Amino acid sequence: MMQSMLSPGMASLALFGAFFLLLVLRVPVAFALGLACLPILAYEPRLSPMMLFNETFKSYNSFILLAVPLFLLTANLMGVGGITDRLVVLSRTMVGRMPGALAQCNVVLSVFFAGISGSSTADAASQSKIFIDAQTKEGYDLPFSIAVTAVSSTLAVVIPPSILMVVWGSVISTSIGALYLAGIVPGLLIAAAQMVTVHVYAVLRKYPVHPRSTFLQFITAAVQSVPAMMTPFIIVGGILLGWFTPTESAAVAVIYALALTAFVYREMDLKRLVEALSETGRLSAIALFCVGTASAFGWLLAYYQIPKALLEHVTDWNLGITGVGFFIAAVFLITGCFLDAIPAIIIVGVTLQPLVQSVDMHPIQFAIIGIVSLAFGLVTPPYGLCLMVACSVAGVRLRYALKDTMIMLIPMLLVLVGIILWPEVTLILPTLISPELVK
Amino acid sequence: MKKILDGYQALLRWLMVATVAILMVPITMQVISRYTALIPSYIWTEELSRFVFIWMVMLGAMIAVRDGTHFDVDVWPTLKPRANAMLRIATNLLVLVFAMVYVYWGIEFVQFGWNQSSELAELPMTYIFIAWPLSGITWVVFLGEQFLADIRTIAAGDAP
Repeated sequence: MMQSMLSPGMASLALFGAFFLLLVLRVPVAFALGLACLPILAYEPRLSPMMLFNETFKSYNSFILLAVPLFLLTANLMGVGGITDRLVVLSRTMVGRMPGALAQCNVVLSVFFAGISGSSTADAASQSKIFIDAQTKEGYDLPFSIAVTAVSSTLAVVIPPSILMVVWGSVISTSIGALYLAGIVPGLLIAAAQMVTVHVYAVLRKYPVHPRSTFLQFITAAVQSVPAMMTPFIIVGGILLGWFTPTESAAVAVIYALALTAFVYREMDLKRLVEALSETGRLSAIALFCVGTASAFGWLLAYYQIPKALLEHVTDWNLGITGVGFFIAAVFLITGCFLDAIPAIIIVGVTLQPLVQSVDMHPIQFAIIGIVSLAFGLVTPPYGLCLMVACSVAGVRLRYALKDTMIMLIPMLLVLVGIILWPEVTLILPTLISPELVK
Repeated sequence: MKKILDGYQALLRWLMVATVAILMVPITMQVISRYTALIPSYIWTEELSRFVFIWMVMLGAMIAVRDGTHFDVDVWPTLKPRANAMLRIATNLLVLVFAMVYVYWGIEFVQFGWNQSSELAELPMTYIFIAWPLSGITWVVFLGEQFLADIRTIAAGDAP
């Protein structure tokens, strides 16, 4: 590469300095990332603002990112078409006799939802409407209700399908099918950790128990939900068997959800369909627009070889594989506080890749450590999207539910430590089911 | 004025809904053509869905500026209406700079696309690239409306 005007240190100072200043001034993240590029594009003679257009165009012109609106559409169709309602009934019959029944139900529903949709924001939006009000009516504290809803919604990106895994797989070229399989065990462990936390809360604060459901009620609810619960098997199975690409599988999920709601549950009509389409376009466009400007930002980082300069010292620390694991988790946990998960993968994930290769960490373990850490970022302030969504539904500011959210995160942190210490947690299912993907 | 902007936003919203719906068609055709003989496998399905997707992102990004739903990081304490309006003017001036860049260099981008056609369907790339200057212009208009509203808030002063 030819000599550029700025050193990596100067360029990174200019880029990150401008970015954080803009964030503090409350400029939306997507615009802050784009604006931070401008001074450098104007200063560096070899670059021009046209690069901003080329990079945003290139990042939107991606068949794999198309999966994002499709996953959101599946979630929205479930919501307006009655699938979610049936899953609520099913989870209630399963955990209704436990203390804090409704909060447990909140977590269990998130697991089901995570298996059908890949979007945590969609999960937070729909479950906030279902649970927050209902829980406070039953005597739960509002901050706790918000925290459970927001924290459990993060399961959607760990349990397959997952938007973040699709993005990770496309940006860092890892098999998306293998990532899906790898996410299952950590996802279920996190769900278990959350249920334990809820249980402790419920016992200490004497949250109400629901009347015991009969076995018959459970069976009825389960039978009604079976068609909906087939979705994850269609998506993951279809990809593993090579039937569809990840994007196509998301489209198949949309068609399946549409068919279910229109012909099996018969709750879909034109008005609801338009509502689901509009909501999908709105949310996915906001998230994806940011991907464009983040790519431009990331491109400039690479142009000045900033990642290499930053990681030079880290390699000298001789961390070893576990140390690198903790380092990756820390970096993603911190970036997750300030950035949305998709741009974080584009900027940070790519940056860390050489470090991971230097200690021979398995790319799948790297991906799951990154994705689980970023799942924390969905509820950590100042930029925790799911917590923001839950708080806005409850009509309170973010800091109101902060303490309970942090308490809910502690047991999840233990799962993250487990994922770092034992590669088996992530690798066992991919190795068993499709060893050729693990190499 | 507000009515015209409401109408314009409604138009953008309908176009966006249409893009989400249309998005499904080429992908579905791609899967159907692979496993059945009902339709031939067209080469342009993937490209078409990508182009519709680009329009969806840009349309949604335009609408979100008027709705104020682009995500930001809120580190400020609760501000009084006047102080809040002042901060929003400062923020929006910065977004305006970005919008102007999209208009000015966006036009150059469209001219650059004039002589290009897409790889598979041979669509003129102008049809795609025009989304950039169009979103720039739309942001300028929507931001202008917010500047007026904020100036009015500042002029009115805080309620006692």
